[in-house]
Amino acid sequence: MAAFILRRLLLLPLVVLGLTMLIFALLQFLSPEMRASLYINDPKQLNAVPDIIAKYHLDRPAYVQFWDWLMQVLRGDLGWSETAREPVADAIRGFLPATIELSLYSFAVILTVGIWLGTQSAVHKDRWIDHLSRITSISGASLPIFVWGLVLLMLFYGHFGWFGPGRLSLAADLFVRSPQFRSYTGLITIDAALNGRWWILIDGLRHLVLPVATLTYYLTAVLVRVTRSAMLETLRTDYVRTAQAKGLARHVVVDKHARRNALIPVITIASYLLFANLLVGVVVTETIFNYPGIGRWGVGATQQLDVPSVAGFALFSGGLLVLGNLCADVLYALVDPRIRLQ
Amino acid sequence: MTQRALAWGMALVLAALGFGAGAQGSEAPAKNPDTLVYLSFSEPQSLDPAYAYDIPSEMIIWPTVYETLITYNGSSTSSYVPVLATQVPSLANGLISKDGLTYAFPIRQGVKFHDGSVMTPEDVRYSILRFMLQDRDGGPSWLLLTPLLGRDSTREKGKIVATYEQAAKAVTVSGNTVVFHLAHPYGAFLSIIAAWSFVTSKAWAAAHGDWDGSPATWQKYNNPKLQDRYAFDHMDGTGPFKLQSWDRQAKQIILVRNDAYWRPRARLARLVVRTVEEFTTRRLALAQGDADIIEVSRPDQSKVTGMPGVTIRDDLPMLQIQAVYFTQKIDMTANPDVGSGKLDGNGIPPDFFSDIHVRRAFVYAFDYGAFIRDALRGKAVQPNGPIVAGLLGYDPTLPKYAFSRDRAVAEFKQAWGGKLWDTGFKLTQIYNTGNVARQVGSQIIKDVVESLNPKFKIDVRAIPFPSLLQLTIANKVPVWWITWTADYPDPDDFAQPLLASNGDFPKRAAYSNPEADRLIKEAAQAVDPEKRKSLYQQLSKIAYADVPGIFAAQPTAFIVMRSWVHGWYFNPILPPPGQNAGANFYLLYKQ
Repeated sequence: MAAFILRRLLLLPLVVLGLTMLIFALLQFLSPEMRASLYINDPKQLNAVPDIIAKYHLDRPAYVQFWDWLMQVLRGDLGWSETAREPVADAIRGFLPATIELSLYSFAVILTVGIWLGTQSAVHKDRWIDHLSRITSISGASLPIFVWGLVLLMLFYGHFGWFGPGRLSLAADLFVRSPQFRSYTGLITIDAALNGRWWILIDGLRHLVLPVATLTYYLTAVLVRVTRSAMLETLRTDYVRTAQAKGLARHVVVDKHARRNALIPVITIASYLLFANLLVGVVVTETIFNYPGIGRWGVGATQQLDVPSVAGFALFSGGLLVLGNLCADVLYALVDPRIRLQ
Repeated sequence: MTQRALAWGMALVLAALGFGAGAQGSEAPAKNPDTLVYLSFSEPQSLDPAYAYDIPSEMIIWPTVYETLITYNGSSTSSYVPVLATQVPSLANGLISKDGLTYAFPIRQGVKFHDGSVMTPEDVRYSILRFMLQDRDGGPSWLLLTPLLGRDSTREKGKIVATYEQAAKAVTVSGNTVVFHLAHPYGAFLSIIAAWSFVTSKAWAAAHGDWDGSPATWQKYNNPKLQDRYAFDHMDGTGPFKLQSWDRQAKQIILVRNDAYWRPRARLARLVVRTVEEFTTRRLALAQGDADIIEVSRPDQSKVTGMPGVTIRDDLPMLQIQAVYFTQKIDMTANPDVGSGKLDGNGIPPDFFSDIHVRRAFVYAFDYGAFIRDALRGKAVQPNGPIVAGLLGYDPTLPKYAFSRDRAVAEFKQAWGGKLWDTGFKLTQIYNTGNVARQVGSQIIKDVVESLNPKFKIDVRAIPFPSLLQLTIANKVPVWWITWTADYPDPDDFAQPLLASNGDFPKRAAYSNPEADRLIKEAAQAVDPEKRKSLYQQLSKIAYADVPGIFAAQPTAFIVMRSWVHGWYFNPILPPPGQNAGANFYLLYKQ
């Protein structure tokens, strides 16, 4: 198992290198003038374009730029993010906690609700809970995430005024920035608890409700359908029928015998959700709810052709995906002993 | 059982909808009464007054944190009041020399920077020198370099050519007075000083690794990158608010009241400027009273109109012009937008627009009313040239082109010796993706011109702004749109970029008129307002005769704010001087 994990980890730099090479190769299609637009905010600055190209070496071939960038990364410098107005490494460090916080809460809800609802849907096939789960999952998967997010925002913020955008209300935000509050993790809810500031904790949770609900509705739908299919298949197997025939309680058969086997495809989906789809989902969610996470920054950098930021974002997200796949493989092995033996 | 539970659930949701908290109405008390929250569309690039040259940055910098020697008098753009100077120089008070080459500013005493140190005339001199000599690519330094050193950059082809001695001679200190020595008389000088003479502390800057004012080291600080300066994200001005934090992750700047301010303290204790890209989020925050002023695009204005507790001030004349330029010498290399490249009905030759009849035909074929109505929601007026209403020299009685199919046809029939009407042409107009107004304007040109003669073909395509930028620089776009907003409220800031042969847009359009160049130079150097007025009127007439492009619209601005915000007044040069009118935050309060 250790060798397997090590092998996967050794692959990580290669994957990330390939990804960043691809990004720089795509640069070949962008002219220096197009990339200079990153530094232009006003038509009044157009005359300076040739000087800007020279200053930032934008006219060099992509492979030279890649090599320079690679050497810089090996020295521990990811470069300057023009879109974040800070070094790329600082930007990743700064934006990451908000995204982690959003992802953790979302993932907890997605897993709990998705697996439970999928299981119940399969066990109570063609009953009302199955119909309900089908309707919610189909609507969740088909409704664009930005529409759902905006509907939630308009209803619960615009109409009720309950859950506002951003990470905190103005009062809480000002308090968090004061010397009375100490940041340990960058995760507002955790830091609030560690500071014993419960009103900040509640404020932070209130601001997480809508983004988490948006992400959850979108991503749970997929998990419910996969869990249901896997459970239905497993419930039809001989060993489950045998377990039922020998008189085991229904919940024991479902929870201990069927669900564990049904979880194998679910793990694939869950890891994909966590490390890829969640990253896509947070981009939209963070934009709608003005949530200062890494997804919003990554998209902004791409739109503005901010090459160091995009390369840094690719390094980060590529690494995350490789680690996600690794986690999925390890979980497979834990759930299914046959995989471990192979 | 299940149905009953569902019914209860539905009832609860409906009850909640009926008795929801709702938005903050007109009678609601001001939320956070000592804090003003401003939600903007985009974020600042830099807080360094010598680097920043974008609207979001300028809004933080001036006049909120950094102050200038003089400023505009309330809503006026042509009269001034002293700020860090004690008098406004004039010929009458002798602070402007008779030859118009020397301007003296007696400096106010006892003014403190935000770091607690006292401002001196040397700080003023240092700040002006730093503004000029830092001179980053595409930055604002040209605004002072041009009148003081007679050049618009410290560099030529990447090499530094200006000297410290030249700059030092241009700005001197005499006792408690700072004296500016101009390279040539410049009528707009006070107007520039009113908006661009920011003062910072020399000691503070030097202590944080910035230039220390030494003649030997200034070149090291020339043309920096954004992150090279401490002042990029730190501020030390004299203004009514000081910087508390700039959280780049949250895209939020917090300014707090400067309690040691030399004038009466601001009534607001805090100013929060936050970037929220999504309009719906900004609108809902305004409705809930969590935001006091929000930026809104014209197409979205109807969504905030009539909102309880919200005030919209509209139809505020902007110092801005939207125009369409014709490239008179097109680069045909691998250019898909000129068709065959010949006058054969399937393309246009490189000098297609050098024929004035073609340009006039396009100008007559442009439906100004439809453009202003459909693209700008009726919130604009048609200018009669590059000198727009609100500027010295604007004359509403001067002629302007009116939409006329008949005249367009007559001009097309004369174009290219009468050949064009028979052969026809094909070209492509380009606008930047997402710019709805330009899309509508391009479509108007296409529809009208194509309706005049079936042999006329105009395609319209949208490309990303960076690509458009590249193509216009390379003179590859036959017909293109520009928007120009004032740096300072003087006609020179419009005549130069829009009409001078070395101006930003004529250069791209290959337009030049030596007489226009001469008049622009003469008007810029004249001190007498009446003489300048007359010269700019002559320039408007030249623009009418030459037709370098279509002067399509002078848009009006508006501002959307909670009704509990008071103390606001309009001045077109207050940042952000764009579609959303600016504000002087010092005078604002909530009640």
